[in-house]
Amino acid sequence: MNQARKFRISHFVIWSILAFFIIVYGVPLLWLLLAGTRTESSLISDTPLSFGSFATMKETFLNLIRYNSGQVMTWALNSVIYTVGSVTLTLLACIPAGYALAMAEFRGRKLILILTLVAMITPSQAIILPIFLEMTFLGLTNTYTGLILASSFFPFGVYLAYIYYTTSLPKSVIESARVDGCGQLQCFIHMGLPMAKPLLALVAFFSFVNNWNNYFLAFILISDDSKQNLPVGLTTLISASGALNAQEAASNLPVGQPEAIQAAILVVLPIILVFLVSQKHVRSGLNAGAEKG
Amino acid sequence: MTQHSASQRQQRKRQQARKQALVAYALLSPFLCLMLMFAIFPVLYAFGLSFFDTIDYVFWGLTNYREVLNDYRLVPAIYNVLQYVLVWVSMMVVGVTMLSLLLDTQSERTAAIVRSIYFMPGAIASSAVVVLWLFLLDPLVSPFDFVYQFFGWENRQSTISGLGEVWIFALMGFLGNSGGWIVVLGGALSGIPRDVLEAARIDGANPWQMATRIKLPMISKTITLMAITTIAVGLQIFVEPQLLSLAGGQFDKPDWSVTQLAYFYAFRWGDFGIAAAISILSLILPVIIALTLIFATRFYKIK
Repeated sequence: MNQARKFRISHFVIWSILAFFIIVYGVPLLWLLLAGTRTESSLISDTPLSFGSFATMKETFLNLIRYNSGQVMTWALNSVIYTVGSVTLTLLACIPAGYALAMAEFRGRKLILILTLVAMITPSQAIILPIFLEMTFLGLTNTYTGLILASSFFPFGVYLAYIYYTTSLPKSVIESARVDGCGQLQCFIHMGLPMAKPLLALVAFFSFVNNWNNYFLAFILISDDSKQNLPVGLTTLISASGALNAQEAASNLPVGQPEAIQAAILVVLPIILVFLVSQKHVRSGLNAGAEKG
Repeated sequence: MTQHSASQRQQRKRQQARKQALVAYALLSPFLCLMLMFAIFPVLYAFGLSFFDTIDYVFWGLTNYREVLNDYRLVPAIYNVLQYVLVWVSMMVVGVTMLSLLLDTQSERTAAIVRSIYFMPGAIASSAVVVLWLFLLDPLVSPFDFVYQFFGWENRQSTISGLGEVWIFALMGFLGNSGGWIVVLGGALSGIPRDVLEAARIDGANPWQMATRIKLPMISKTITLMAITTIAVGLQIFVEPQLLSLAGGQFDKPDWSVTQLAYFYAFRWGDFGIAAAISILSLILPVIIALTLIFATRFYKIK
């Protein structure tokens, strides 16, 4: 009986801690989504987690769209272009590279692998200024091509592909296929590619999140307002309208806190939706990424 | 004759190996081009540039480095970043370990649902996080207003100065990154052989002892990995302090972090030589960390 009570107490303690953190992690996002339906005065005077109305949500959204005659939609479209371009290039570059590193023997293999890992672990911010200098030199700043190319370098994707092929395609299978006269390239096309579906999903997800959220690189490489992506656009919108700044908020733009909130939702929502759809892949990918730890 | 055919066979084998190597390079080439363009070349370029006066384009040796190291803003920036990294890493190690161990006591299904909730904030990154936080820090609209009331913080200014940038950025980092690592540690915990846990249970270990004496030592490597990557990322903080200025001029801190200082030199003063020197200096530590990690854990070897 004593033990049962002890168990109940420890269960209670564990769940209070877990629940406390569910609130800490969950409330900010919940608040953001709810706040998108509320008016400026409701944000200030009503309880924080109340729901406004769909009519308000629509009106706010129209205000947001009207900002600079539809600039938000331009940014959204740019984000789509950048993301689709980079994810495609990332997949084209990472899958064959991971396959080659896992399956082939050649000189420089270990060096390439180690360089890839160093690039993966070293945070990319440190290298963004040098990339900017290089892109200026090549005349690729302020271009779609420049940002798409720069954000297609995704060593984590190569690492994922490398792990995937090493663990799920036995080298003996490839070797026996080779004895049967199947060349390395044919092996990749006939065996490596057909089994790559879960891998494609995994690399695509992480690359999508990275690119959709891309702020720093876009901020540095793109200075033209009309070529910005959503994350940079969001900050342009907020600093131009003073939506978050009580002293400068007297601007006559109909862009206030509710519009800023909806713009933030526009950045966040696609990621959440994609995450909810592909949760399982994401988890397996994260585990693969840390398995060696 | 046999010797002849043997050497012929060897030659054919070598030829084939060369052909296979060529195919491998071909498969690698798109990625190698990208790596050359966006990792190797920029670093070399910045390295070269850091020895030049980029305004008049004259070689001037270590002058850029000397100027950076004498900049009065460098020491405070390093101090800020180190404080932030220390607080953030401690939060990550304590918080992620605790939550992972607690979740491991629950059924797999419950744990999976809770993990997904914890992971969710990790999906938002970049500017949207900072914007969200600027709302969360404003007592007028924040769902955490009761906390701020408790401390007597009445506006965003007092919340930010009350909490301090270090803690705010560390909290941002924790909320955004801990969920992913909780998933990773969950995976590591479920990889512990069942018979080990069973044996401990039979020997009379209670849940607390199981967690601290059996599970914790077995996941300590993954925790170290998390701490190290967190340090590497934290040293480069830029976006968070940079975007604090969205809330108004009084929050503008253009030289809070070292990366910001490099940006400041490059874009406000147009001095790319000094900016390149800062970039090179701030790459040294992360690269050493990365190499140590790779060789210590034999990251590249997979069973």
